[in-house]
Amino acid sequence: MTPSQFLRAAGASALALAGFWPGLAAAASLTGQVTADGKPAMGAMLTVFNEAKTARETVYTDADGRYAIRTSFGGKLDVRARLLGHADARTSLQLSPDQRAEQNMQLVAHATPTDRTAALPASAHNARLPWASEKERAPFISQCNYCHQIGNATTRIPRSHEAWLDTIGRMEGYLAMVTRSEADTFASVLSRGFDGKPFEAKHDIGATPELARAKVEEWLVGDNMSFIHDMDVAKDGKFYGTDEGHDVLWVLDPKTGKTERIPLPDSTLPVGGLFSGMNLHIGIFTGKHGPHSMAEDKDGRLWITNALSSTLMSFDTRTKAFKTYPVPGDALYPHTIRIDAEGIVWFTIVASNQMGRFDPRTEQMTVMALPSNGFFRWVSDALFPTLLRVSSWFPHKVLLTQLSHHKFLGYNVLAFPYGIDVNPKDGSIWYAKLYANKIGRIDPKTMAITEYDTPMKGPRRPRFDNNGVLWIPAFDEGGLMRFDTTSQTFETMKLPGLAPGEYETPYALNVERKSGEVWITANNADRVLRYMPATKRFQSYPSPTRVTFLRDMAFTQDGKVCSSQSNLPAWAIEDGVPSYICIDPTGGERDRQALAR
Amino acid sequence: MSTISRPLQAKVYAALFVIGAACMAALGVSAGAYFVPSLCLLLTAWLVWQGRGLKWFSTILNLNQLSALVLILVLWLGEGLGVAKLNIAGVALIGNLLTGGPLMGALAVPLLVKLHFGSTLKNWFGAARA
Repeated sequence: MTPSQFLRAAGASALALAGFWPGLAAAASLTGQVTADGKPAMGAMLTVFNEAKTARETVYTDADGRYAIRTSFGGKLDVRARLLGHADARTSLQLSPDQRAEQNMQLVAHATPTDRTAALPASAHNARLPWASEKERAPFISQCNYCHQIGNATTRIPRSHEAWLDTIGRMEGYLAMVTRSEADTFASVLSRGFDGKPFEAKHDIGATPELARAKVEEWLVGDNMSFIHDMDVAKDGKFYGTDEGHDVLWVLDPKTGKTERIPLPDSTLPVGGLFSGMNLHIGIFTGKHGPHSMAEDKDGRLWITNALSSTLMSFDTRTKAFKTYPVPGDALYPHTIRIDAEGIVWFTIVASNQMGRFDPRTEQMTVMALPSNGFFRWVSDALFPTLLRVSSWFPHKVLLTQLSHHKFLGYNVLAFPYGIDVNPKDGSIWYAKLYANKIGRIDPKTMAITEYDTPMKGPRRPRFDNNGVLWIPAFDEGGLMRFDTTSQTFETMKLPGLAPGEYETPYALNVERKSGEVWITANNADRVLRYMPATKRFQSYPSPTRVTFLRDMAFTQDGKVCSSQSNLPAWAIEDGVPSYICIDPTGGERDRQALAR
Repeated sequence: MSTISRPLQAKVYAALFVIGAACMAALGVSAGAYFVPSLCLLLTAWLVWQGRGLKWFSTILNLNQLSALVLILVLWLGEGLGVAKLNIAGVALIGNLLTGGPLMGALAVPLLVKLHFGSTLKNWFGAARA
């Protein structure tokens, strides 16, 4: 990030923080055509930025290259047309309130092969990495795509073998779990594969009439060191995001565009919390709690898992009061959280292979051990909290990597219960074990546990549909799994890549309960995928933002699917800061109809 | 001057300690802390080979067993210890690594039994001291 980009991003955040949102009362509309190389461009993104450059709205062009967009902005607005394989076209318009303008945009090829290559998504770059086999690549996908893309402008900088080893060592400070030989292989492949030379890539962005019906809204939130892990849409209509690095909730009112920064209460723990022995990025991880995942209860309280302090926290969205509950039992890294129909709060505890249960009425917390899944994982379950405690006696020395058996056996020595959801059919609690490749069911009455091996590796954050079918993203294999809890059978499908040889790293998904459609954070190719079970078809939604890495997905009451731009570090995202993003699958169509009148 | 030839038990245990040290060193290449028990196993191999330092030798073995026992008991039953639980477990873990780690733990049990109830190794250490 250049100093000017940094200042622009910081300035944008400051404006948003101050609630400065000029022209909000005004609303401008644009219609026009986007052409590429003189022909109508289908699937091009037409984006309008607000005057402060803190928010933008995007629609996709139809088969004739036509677009229509109603924005909530007014004033001097930037307009951008973008289509993979072409240089961006930009212009500025001064639009008075409720003014409607016609603006055609012409896209042309990139000026140089270097420019063309630079604009390609991470998936195109990392598809060129010279892996000897898929087996060799597997731990790379699991560990190196964990928190960010590999292959974007920040992570594909050509480096020597030694420089990559240094980088991988730094990543181990953030809990990347690689063996010594894996690190050596990764460094070798990355140093040979990311050579900075231009190359060709032919992509199918999935431009369809369905895409042209959609509209995307984005709001910049936080600063260039923020790490907004998850966001949720609360009943008050506001978006709440957990800044895991800064111990902050970032609240956005999408109606006004105003953001609010709400710090969590302090903790007696050192910076980094129970993970102070790791070498967490100093600028990013300034906090002690590490707020991670959220779920809202019927009373309007948000329940937050604090990953670094091993606490559960409630936040009343009306009074803005926090309340903290320590999680007992050597719990390490409370992770994804959901609330069942009885109001019981359930959360996975990822690094100590446990499940937390909290009853807000009695304030009783129970932590239960999950099956260890083998001898070495049993050793991990027993010793990992102790290893981290020993590491914390030597801050930032990452002693864990000198002590832990994952250094010679690999990340699979941990089970990693990760995502969790509640089956709407019977109230049972289901979780996915990311490293042990299992899903499990907990009977909420008897606490009996049943586990199932998943046919694809890397089950991450699953969600239920209305019929009791569990949809599971397979992170390590770029796949989607469907588990029918009644028949106890799996179906698997591979996510479509942008091009042959490219893969996706689906982190999370959510199921729109009315339609049963599955929305998936693809994360490797700057897009979101929508799976329609009725037709067994995927629809791709290219993201207006380069370096799109999303986490949990939430739905608004009016049917938008939203998430947080959560790439680590935030300054590697095109905007230089995180954002909240919402896709309205029919918003573009509504704009088109309204402006056709 | 009389000499006692090195008993088979001393040779076998010295060899096992060296093998254990090599295993730990191999792990240490990936996780450096494992060099610590490797060095300790080498030291005990030298002591039993030479028949010297019975006090040191048996102290290392006993501390290894004690630290392992504390570690297991604290992790198993130590919920009531609160924050201190993992501190105690951490000290026990470090103590165990300094005294040879888990491989030493496995070798120490029969050795301590032989030192306590048998005479061969005791005589060997005694002869070397004489």
